[in-house]
Amino acid sequence: MNVKKIAALFLALALGLSGCAQTGGESASEEAVVVRYGISNAWDSLMPYNSPSGSNYSRMIYDKLYDRLAFVHADGTLSPRGAKSWESADEGYSVRFYLNEEARFHDGEPVTAQSWADTIRRMTDPDCPTLGRSAFAVLSGTDAGGAALPGQEVGVEAEDAYVLKLTFKDPTTPEDFLLDKNREYYVLPTHLMEDVAPEDTMDMDLWAAPVGSGPCKFFSEVMGSSLVLTANKDYHLGAPGFDQLDIAVMDKNSLLTALIAGDLDYYAIGGSITANDVPTAEAAGFQVEEGTAPNTFFELMLNNETISDARIRRAIELSLDKELLCEQSTQGYGTVTGTSVLPTCSSYAGDFNSAYDPAEARALLEEAGYEGTTYRLACTSNRQGLAALMQQQMGEAGISVAVETVDSTTMFAGMADGTYDMGIASHTPSALPLWFLESRFTEDNNIFRVEDLTGYETRIAAVKEADAGEARTQAVAELEAYLAQERPFIPLWFGMGLHVRSNTVSGIDYPSASFSNENVWEWVKN
Amino acid sequence: MIRYVRRRLLTVIPVFFGITLFVFCFLSLAPGTIADLMGESGSISYADQAALEERLGLNDPLPVRYVEWLWDLFHGDLGESWQTGRPVSESIAQRVGPSLILTGTGVALAILLAIPLGVLAAWRPRSAWDKLSSACSMVSFGVPGFLLSLVLVYVFSLTLGLLPSSRMYTTGSSGSLWDLLRHLILPASVVCLSNLGELVKQTRAACLETMGEDYIRTAWAKGLRGRAVLLRHVLRGSLIPILTTVLTHIPHIIGGSVVVERLFGWPGMGSLMFTAILSRDYALVMGVTVVIALTVFATNLLLDLVYGLADPRVRQGRYGR
Repeated sequence: MNVKKIAALFLALALGLSGCAQTGGESASEEAVVVRYGISNAWDSLMPYNSPSGSNYSRMIYDKLYDRLAFVHADGTLSPRGAKSWESADEGYSVRFYLNEEARFHDGEPVTAQSWADTIRRMTDPDCPTLGRSAFAVLSGTDAGGAALPGQEVGVEAEDAYVLKLTFKDPTTPEDFLLDKNREYYVLPTHLMEDVAPEDTMDMDLWAAPVGSGPCKFFSEVMGSSLVLTANKDYHLGAPGFDQLDIAVMDKNSLLTALIAGDLDYYAIGGSITANDVPTAEAAGFQVEEGTAPNTFFELMLNNETISDARIRRAIELSLDKELLCEQSTQGYGTVTGTSVLPTCSSYAGDFNSAYDPAEARALLEEAGYEGTTYRLACTSNRQGLAALMQQQMGEAGISVAVETVDSTTMFAGMADGTYDMGIASHTPSALPLWFLESRFTEDNNIFRVEDLTGYETRIAAVKEADAGEARTQAVAELEAYLAQERPFIPLWFGMGLHVRSNTVSGIDYPSASFSNENVWEWVKN
Repeated sequence: MIRYVRRRLLTVIPVFFGITLFVFCFLSLAPGTIADLMGESGSISYADQAALEERLGLNDPLPVRYVEWLWDLFHGDLGESWQTGRPVSESIAQRVGPSLILTGTGVALAILLAIPLGVLAAWRPRSAWDKLSSACSMVSFGVPGFLLSLVLVYVFSLTLGLLPSSRMYTTGSSGSLWDLLRHLILPASVVCLSNLGELVKQTRAACLETMGEDYIRTAWAKGLRGRAVLLRHVLRGSLIPILTTVLTHIPHIIGGSVVVERLFGWPGMGSLMFTAILSRDYALVMGVTVVIALTVFATNLLLDLVYGLADPRVRQGRYGR
């Protein structure tokens, strides 16, 4: 009898506890067409302007719940999304966006130019605790941090119900603006925020079950673990070909396994796969496709304070056999570079790469009077092998390096505060010439700890001021030549993405997904 | 007995403060803050970072921050997650259930297997049971959980296609018990095997020690049957060390298993703690620390009470004070 009671109690407890994990209103229908989506890192707040990390993983979620102005393809071309078209105005100081009249918030309210204007005004209000407000710093009437200046109008205007005009501090083409900022501008349901003071914006219950105007609607969430979205059948670009998108956080190493086992239909970002895993995926009946544009930029960050002599920094570059490092790291799916500017950029001015030359490196070190200082090289655990190879190559040229494996936050914090002398980092590039450089050579964000930024600032300003075309290419060439001479950081290579194609979902634009863009309204679950 | 419990509870208070202060200080010493995470994307401004640090009070001195955190705690507020902006208690409430299911099932299975196996191994030395218990211990101690997880996924999910490789429920399903059980088998097996070795070893050792006692010899001399000696005397006499081992697994059940939860995409406390540490979400880390610390205290108290129930000598000794 006792055993039966205990068994019944255990069963009841298990049922009760299993209920704990199923939150978020009524359970989904058994017949729902579900796309099972894996992601290796959790998003943070569901409010797009309150993301501490500002990571691509959070952006992938915002991209589905909220609408953006345009869709940016992997090759840098643009397609309409919240805006049907756009044009330059006021001699390049403004861009006029013609919004899609069919766009609706998930509660049925239309998305108007006023919604966009109210969103931007609220987020630039100094009283609103917006994170990532610097994205608005390009607009006129804002300070360097993107906050509205007292007594000035922020450069946003609803000219008509569906015509939005943004005005910038500097002349900016629509294409440059969208390539740079599209993934940071989202329209919020300001009609639900009318009675809320700007300072209380982030405390609204709305962000626990957000109402956006994107291709998916919020359904339920287990914070940091899973998120269930339903398809927005009224999305103005078309209804997604599924009923439900079930997003689950999983270990990065389990994503491909889960896809092969049939537990996932797709995983972010873009079904990314390493060259080593390609045979496994193909043997399991999956197709693997190569990206159409580089989606990773690798660099060796340098501390210009502790490695203050440019000759030593150049010697470090010459001591590295980038071809070998790139081959080891990308298995042939990378291109060595001496610049952060993508070859597909219209202002590309050459690769500015210095060929591997350990003898020249040794000569430069001797000239600079290098006394055998041991430099601290920080890397994350997945790049230990790469760091060891670099250590060996630098050692052959006479440069002493100690490798320290840390998590990425520690590495970036350590580079910023001068703890480390070098760090291996990678980034998602864009087709703009200054996508990498502009934000790294300012007083506020001087991660390379450059003592005198003037040389960089003037050359970066020259690129920004130059008209698109030959003049800008020339300005980029001058900037890159200066970088090659000073080498405040060492560009290593551009990596081409490999994407494992889903066997159960069609219509996925894999290369564009690498850039935090997912065309979910075109996805169809087979 | 009540006085004893009260005294134990009073000793818990300074220990609790010590643990929270220790964790709080160490978190503050760790390099980087959540504001530094913003630097990873490169496109940040000092204003954004400064705004976040100001909002989270990271510019305040450490003692001020700790006192403020304690003040909120005593008012039943674990604070808000720095990462999600939502209550820490909500995050923990969502994760405790899945952790209890996974680690609780794994540990319960381990206990159910380990006690009979350990007793039989001690009862019949060098028998097949003894060899089996040694083999279980070797696998349990020698094979790391992550490797075991990968092997099980490879065999049962990828090769045989019998069981799901990840998650707690099939997506799109209504979350039935059957679905939960199917998803539970592989991760719970890993947790079970990881705990089995220690439990078997402790049970076997405790039984062997008891079997050498005079009262067991007396029981044999009185002509009791083997089964009676085993169940009434050996097992009962070995109960305290076995219970100690079993109960010390309870905090582990609440705290979850980081590796297993991460590999199987299980939404438990272990993966919550892992994510919180990586994202420098110290409000959440402190919240989980409080829950685990309280569980350890409760377990220790329970352990003392159970000792009294299991062993009359302990009970009488206490009553005699």
